[in-house]
Amino acid sequence: MTTENHKSTAKADTVLVVEDEVLLRLVIADYLRDCGFRVIEAADADEAIVVLKQPQLAVDVVFSDIEMPGSMDGFGLAQWTRSNRPGVEVILTGSVPRAVNAAATLCESEGPVPKPYEPQTVHHRIRRLLAARSNNKKR
Amino acid sequence: MAAAEVGLAAERPTVLIVEDEVLIRLMVADELRTAGLHVLEASNADEAWTILESSLPVQLLFTDIHMRGRMSGFELARLVRERYPSLKVVITSSREPASGIGGVADAFIGKPYDLRAVVEQVQTLLTRSSNDDRKP
Repeated sequence: MTTENHKSTAKADTVLVVEDEVLLRLVIADYLRDCGFRVIEAADADEAIVVLKQPQLAVDVVFSDIEMPGSMDGFGLAQWTRSNRPGVEVILTGSVPRAVNAAATLCESEGPVPKPYEPQTVHHRIRRLLAARSNNKKR
Repeated sequence: MAAAEVGLAAERPTVLIVEDEVLIRLMVADELRTAGLHVLEASNADEAWTILESSLPVQLLFTDIHMRGRMSGFELARLVRERYPSLKVVITSSREPASGIGGVADAFIGKPYDLRAVVEQVQTLLTRSSNDDRKP
């Protein structure tokens, strides 16, 4: 697996990765950094909301696990983000089929990313989402 | 998905930051990354221990003392010193422990941080670690 091909086209968009499994979080976070993103890591939805409440911290995409401990799961975080940071895109991921299906209603048109995922899949999804957002702004 | 697959075993020295205040963690991590270091982030001591017990190479542990969770940063540092004696350890807090850092850590950094001093301290310890590795 290489990220070399992605580096030249990457922009410094910011992805907030929300994942309570630390080894999963650091793998996808490192991969996305290698792809040229600025990545902010949060261990749960509560940490993510602390980050999202900071107006000086630009966040373009939230990539969040669905099932997490804490006061809120990934669904709750997605709803909070929709209400409070409407310009921020949300991609959910999870391994429980029922939860993944339910997540489709909260995600963008392509639906959630099922676990286990390949980092490239996440990277491509984020790129497509940001490209679509950019196109929508131009219209 | 193995960590090694995505190039985590970078040639750059790796610093593991353990801090339960996400904005402080982010600030320090950003500063160390800007200085060219590979940075792993843990939100508590348990996460840090998971990382340390994995195959990921870590050269320096940078941990807050007072954190939520089962283990304090001081206890984490003590465990690390026992199990990974070659790993450099920096502990941080708003005040230095009354008992001092003893043999548990290589340095103490007080909060609030002077980020430039943090980077300098970390780089100094990493250089020392590298020199220790070269000794016959």
